[in-house]
Amino acid sequence: MTRRELLARTSNGFGLAALAGMLQGAESVNPLASKVAPLPAKAKSVIFLFMHGGVSHVDTFDPKPQLTKYNGKNLSAELAKTIKTSFIHDPSKAILRGSPWEFRPGGTCGTPVSDLFPHVRTMMDDIAVVRGCYSDQFDHAPAIYLRSTGFQLPGRPSLGSWVTYGLGTENQNLPAFVVMSDGSTKSGPPAYGAGFLPAVYQGTVFRSGESPILYLKNPDGVTGEVQRGTLDFINTLDRMQERTRPNDSTLDARIASYELAWRMQSAAPEAVDMSKETEATRKLYGIGAGVTDDFGRKCLLARRLVERGVRFIELISGTNVGADWDEAHTDLTGSHPRMAAKSDLPIAGLLKDLKSRGLLDSTLVVWNSEFGRTPLSQGDNGRDHHPYGFSMWMAGGGIKGGKVMGATDEFGVQATEMRVDAHDVNATILRLLGMEHKQLTYLYQGRDMRLTDVKGEGEFAARLLA
Amino acid sequence: MIPGKAKDSLLYQAVAHLGALKMPPGPALTVEEVQAIKDWIDGGAPWSSGKWWAFEKPVRPTVPANAANPAANPIDAFVDQKLRSAGLAPAPEADRLTLIRRASYDLLGLPPTKEQIDQFLSDKAPAAWERVIDALLASPRYGEKWGRHWLDLARYGDTAGFEQDPYLLLAWRYRDYVVKSFNDDKPYDRFAKEQIAGDELYPGDPEARTGTGFYRVGTNRDMLFKVEDVNLVEKRTDMVDTTAAVFLGMTVGCARCHDHKFDPIPQRDFYRMQAIFQPAVSGQVFLDYNPARFYGVAENSRTFKLWQISTEIANINHKYQGQLKEKKLAALSPELQAAFRAPEEKRTPDQLRLVSENPNVVKIAQTEIDAILSQADQERMAAISKRLLQTFTGYGPPPISDGITDVGRESPKTFVAIRGNPEAFGEEVRPGFPAALGGGDIPEPPPHAASTLRRKALAEWMARAENPLFGRVMVNRIWQFHFGAGLAKSPSDFGIRGGNPTHPELLDWLATEFAAKGWSMKAMHKLMMTSAAYQRSANPSDAAQAKDPANELLSHMSRRRLEAEEIRDASLLVTGELNLKMGGVPVVPLLSKEEMFGMIGNPTSAWMVTADAAEHKRRSIYLIARRTFQQPMAQAFDGPDGVLTCSRRNESTTAPQSLALLNSGFTMDRAKALGVLVKDSAAAWERVYGRPPSPEEMSAADRFLAKQQGLLGSREAAMAQLVRGLMNTNEFLYVD
Repeated sequence: MTRRELLARTSNGFGLAALAGMLQGAESVNPLASKVAPLPAKAKSVIFLFMHGGVSHVDTFDPKPQLTKYNGKNLSAELAKTIKTSFIHDPSKAILRGSPWEFRPGGTCGTPVSDLFPHVRTMMDDIAVVRGCYSDQFDHAPAIYLRSTGFQLPGRPSLGSWVTYGLGTENQNLPAFVVMSDGSTKSGPPAYGAGFLPAVYQGTVFRSGESPILYLKNPDGVTGEVQRGTLDFINTLDRMQERTRPNDSTLDARIASYELAWRMQSAAPEAVDMSKETEATRKLYGIGAGVTDDFGRKCLLARRLVERGVRFIELISGTNVGADWDEAHTDLTGSHPRMAAKSDLPIAGLLKDLKSRGLLDSTLVVWNSEFGRTPLSQGDNGRDHHPYGFSMWMAGGGIKGGKVMGATDEFGVQATEMRVDAHDVNATILRLLGMEHKQLTYLYQGRDMRLTDVKGEGEFAARLLA
Repeated sequence: MIPGKAKDSLLYQAVAHLGALKMPPGPALTVEEVQAIKDWIDGGAPWSSGKWWAFEKPVRPTVPANAANPAANPIDAFVDQKLRSAGLAPAPEADRLTLIRRASYDLLGLPPTKEQIDQFLSDKAPAAWERVIDALLASPRYGEKWGRHWLDLARYGDTAGFEQDPYLLLAWRYRDYVVKSFNDDKPYDRFAKEQIAGDELYPGDPEARTGTGFYRVGTNRDMLFKVEDVNLVEKRTDMVDTTAAVFLGMTVGCARCHDHKFDPIPQRDFYRMQAIFQPAVSGQVFLDYNPARFYGVAENSRTFKLWQISTEIANINHKYQGQLKEKKLAALSPELQAAFRAPEEKRTPDQLRLVSENPNVVKIAQTEIDAILSQADQERMAAISKRLLQTFTGYGPPPISDGITDVGRESPKTFVAIRGNPEAFGEEVRPGFPAALGGGDIPEPPPHAASTLRRKALAEWMARAENPLFGRVMVNRIWQFHFGAGLAKSPSDFGIRGGNPTHPELLDWLATEFAAKGWSMKAMHKLMMTSAAYQRSANPSDAAQAKDPANELLSHMSRRRLEAEEIRDASLLVTGELNLKMGGVPVVPLLSKEEMFGMIGNPTSAWMVTADAAEHKRRSIYLIARRTFQQPMAQAFDGPDGVLTCSRRNESTTAPQSLALLNSGFTMDRAKALGVLVKDSAAAWERVYGRPPSPEEMSAADRFLAKQQGLLGSREAAMAQLVRGLMNTNEFLYVD
């Protein structure tokens, strides 16, 4: 349904003038009005898959035969000196640990992926793996804040907020920036907050169930008819008041915001209602099939939101109070298969589905984590935090798949080729959406603040597109 | 070059390649560089003259003659002169209900009560307005409202932030100190000095030393280990940034890495300021010496006692764990039994996997042990419970607050960090003041000094009338919270990016008046609020809307939305539920499960709801400020997150706000509470708006009530809907 059609469906004429102004994007009234990207770009929306807690790169997308060969040996003192660890007491005394999983080539391009992600492996022709990622934070919360906001402290706008600040959104009846998580995270809401940008740009958390957004449901005992009656009453009083306060666009916007709230109350449940999806689609995402059901639903919902014009959707896999990638500290062989099994099939399904619907070209899919995990063993069966070299991948949004960019050293310790940090990745995502990271600024406390601060020189969009 | 007009300036035309002359010869400047030159020229090309208004000492200007009204408030003389020369007429005076509502929200953050309104409406004396202001300024609610403004600046929070988000257990002592300071009308120079250097200036005054809590209530990374060096750098940077922004309106953050691009702040000056804080360390302030000392001793022995008690419990438990575990093991499959029974280091990979995949099968809960305790052990446990209870009876917060102090007379050295990298040591610097403000070194302390006295020097240098920024910045903040925007638009950035003030003479006159009135903030409120400019209607004339849409000339009052706290506090006040208890340990209100979604950690420890429900209805300033979890309603309405100093909140309008205000349990609870108190719509109008309904409103309300009563089946439920509606209207949410 287009915005115009939606507008045409307004039956009661309530707040119509103001609403038309908002929907058609008078920017002073509606900060979320859709804007044309300043630079040419294919990507219109982003699905950001965040693997919370730290995924081991050497066990997923960055095979290290040397690590297997030297399994049980110490790291050279020289290399050991270059890293700090969280729980491993002394990196120079810890032993190297080869990956317990086999790597096999995927797609016609043959990019190797471990047995943890057999389904994603079939999609490698659409995926560009970036193996030279690094971060300078080795605790979760600062690393997550750095990844999502460009600063290791909480309180700055997140990537999704910057993107919606820069581009607005296509569907005014749904939030512009949607977050779906497993609940509690190690960084909390500041990782998807708006920081110093207006609250309108903050990530809206979607939960599963019929009331996906907080306060979306009418209060207990309030039927749709009662709700509509109260909304009309508010509107009547506001209109009376407005007669003595003419030409105040702020008051108009507030009146319109109630109409938008009402529309959201029906648009959001419609968006999350998967009952009309075919059995084949549900199967593609692993819905109804045990471990994949939850993440599968999130992925399918992400596709439905993309179809409806939502600009930025962030899916978080892992939680601070339950199953998490970070359990790899003491239980690599148990936790990583557990976590990968939740999302492998759904992610592959999402890519296939987007592709078959012609949406993959306009949707950038990003898979990443706040850091990797040590090639060194923590205890018998663990890996520690490791920000010095790790992997991510991207697909869709016009980029060319089937390739591997950047590299870590032979043991997977340090990123050595095409080293990119969070700023470079964020600059790249902005560029793929048609925005130059140095131009996207917001004046705060006397500074033109940027997502990439004074960094982001390693932006690599051109290499992804080539 | 024509300052202020880049497009007409040859310099800009040349670098932007707009005309025949193209500069520089060779490759053109980058888009960014050209933009920087354009910004500089459009900003008035400061420094081409070598001077910037904000760094020059304010000189008290002559108040312009006001022939029409010679007795007028001097503020109006300045404002009206500009209005006249722009050819704009001031808006008429607002009606009295609007005025008292405006004054009450501005000073107290609450709407006026019916009694206050009636009194003002019937007071025909010329001094009626002044009496309203005096009464409001005398209310303890004043400190709660203006203290909140200050806490935004002080990036206040009750937790440290980051993944564990531990409590800053005593931060609220600083919050209470701020509220009290405003209520006492503590002179602003004293208030500033206490916060910067209360320990060095007033060592014998615990309240003054509590002011140094300013440096303890921000985020801190101390819980992150193995990065102590980074933690320290971040702490010092926060100290310098926040001090400069709050007290001087200077943004120095970018000088951490390089010389400031726009303002005359070389990188060296940033580190000279950082050197002032180099010796600062956390300190405890004993509010009441002996009780604080005894508290420390008692806590010490209590902790020791707890260690012993926990050993006793463990010893009792131990006797039963073996048999319980054996029972659980026996019920498992042979493979699992073998895996768990094998010593950890001898487990095969398969056994390791089995153990890790079944983490809970042999876990023993305390309840299982309790169920099989022997009579004697039951008695032992009961005795332990009693002792535990005794240990905690009367346990409460200590008479101690968190502050800072110096490590001693000798400070660690400070070096310029090359490109902001703390490991790349540049030249060593001495503590001193920014050259742009006159500069100056801080001397070595006397031989027997207890501390370096650097912060004392800073505080004294800062808080004086000759400092060009100190008075201007604060008086501009006060102005902003009365008029909606400062005379200088960026209240924490008086540098070149902040631009010129709209009324430079007025700002200087106010700054000098502030000093002359002994830095009394209450005197400034009264001065501003008794101006005609403050008392104008919020409706602009057509001419004003066309010529001055941003209302920079103050032809009328700027309408504003209530802040997050005001919405909550006003809702509780009009329903008669607001609990006015002041101060103390932060209150944790009850939230729904949905509202707590995404919180770091388990709510049983991260959100321990305050037991006494009456506490949940206290003013918002007393609710807990968790850095990683803002309450959803506050977050929706642009509440502060307490991470960076915030000089002006956003005032956004969003659909999620409307959803929150319509559908939250908070609103429904208020609506129900008032719904049963009011007998008819007229009474509801009086409570929520402070005025009777018009006949038109009355009939709309009657129709509404009849219809909702039909749908809901009861008058009470319909009345609750009416109240819910009123609390969602613009009349309730905006201040005219």
